[in-house]
Amino acid sequence: MPDETPQDELSKAWQNQPGENMTMSLEDIRRKAGKFQRRIWWRNAREYAAVAVVVAVFGLYLAWFPSPVARAGSVLIITGALYVAYQLHRRAASQSAPTGGLEHCLGFHRRELERQRDALTNVWNWYLGPLVPGLALFIVGMVIAEPIPVPYRVLSGMVMFAVAGAVFWLVAKLNRYGARKLQMEIDELKALEK
Amino acid sequence: MGEPSQDERYREAAAGYGPALERLARAYEFDADRRRDLLQEIHLALWRSFALFDGRCSLRTWVYRVAHNTAVSYGIGRRRSGDGNLVSLEDVERTLGTRDGDEAAGRREALARLTELIQTLKPLDRQVILSYLEGMDAASIGEITGLAAGNVATKIHRIKALLAKRFNEGAPNA
Repeated sequence: MPDETPQDELSKAWQNQPGENMTMSLEDIRRKAGKFQRRIWWRNAREYAAVAVVVAVFGLYLAWFPSPVARAGSVLIITGALYVAYQLHRRAASQSAPTGGLEHCLGFHRRELERQRDALTNVWNWYLGPLVPGLALFIVGMVIAEPIPVPYRVLSGMVMFAVAGAVFWLVAKLNRYGARKLQMEIDELKALEK
Repeated sequence: MGEPSQDERYREAAAGYGPALERLARAYEFDADRRRDLLQEIHLALWRSFALFDGRCSLRTWVYRVAHNTAVSYGIGRRRSGDGNLVSLEDVERTLGTRDGDEAAGRREALARLTELIQTLKPLDRQVILSYLEGMDAASIGEITGLAAGNVATKIHRIKALLAKRFNEGAPNA
């Protein structure tokens, strides 16, 4: 065809390339949908199992430790873990809500990135923060109960707080870094939207 | 006669766009096994999506939106697990050397290189170039991607220049 440009030829070659002709019957689709639901179920089950471990461990501490401060810390950690589990469940549920083709690609992509950014930005509110009071109280309770001289108690308490603080700080920093990178991508997409 | 059911709409879409969806999956995933997984995910998403189809856009727009959105979600998951960085059309233009245009390669090699190029692009640029290669006009591309008309025109212009430079330099009709 004399009017055909090289780009047209490439486009034609792209459309005519041989495929694997993969087909899925409706039975296959329904089986896959069932597998999808089971995957969601197992993902939720893993989260609940992790919470169950925390609840069991600190439940045992609650029974074993005589220190009322450590026991109060255990109760707060269990409460915090349950709150984190609720938040994970809530966020996962909003993730799997289908919108079909109602949303154009730019909007969908931006929304996905915003959802992830919000989870990372607010990590103190829903993930780290709820565990802090319980952990702090638990450490204090452990230190008070230790049968060692007061200066050593103070030192061991400071070490435990320093380690826990460093871990929390690192997690928060990594999350903030991730959120900043996502924000850059979001800004790029926003600039292009209709 | 009533509205087509979810199953009927899916059948119609799979029959009409099956090969195009395969090409789309190829543009998002290099590995054959993962590509098959992605394609199945797209078909499942499509079937589920037809429970929500209300005819506000054409079947084609719907199918491509669902397919691209599913592939983007899949890609975000892969990137979170450590997959490589993606580039924009502008980056590809900037880094374009003489390496690719030095020989008029066979069609199969050109297609392989084209697929490789598309796989390195950011999702939005990938969506535009794929839609262009599928023969869509600027209005349809805007409807699927959500890009403003001016941005679609700019990107198509870049794509044409890129394809001409990368695949036809040295060819008799370039």
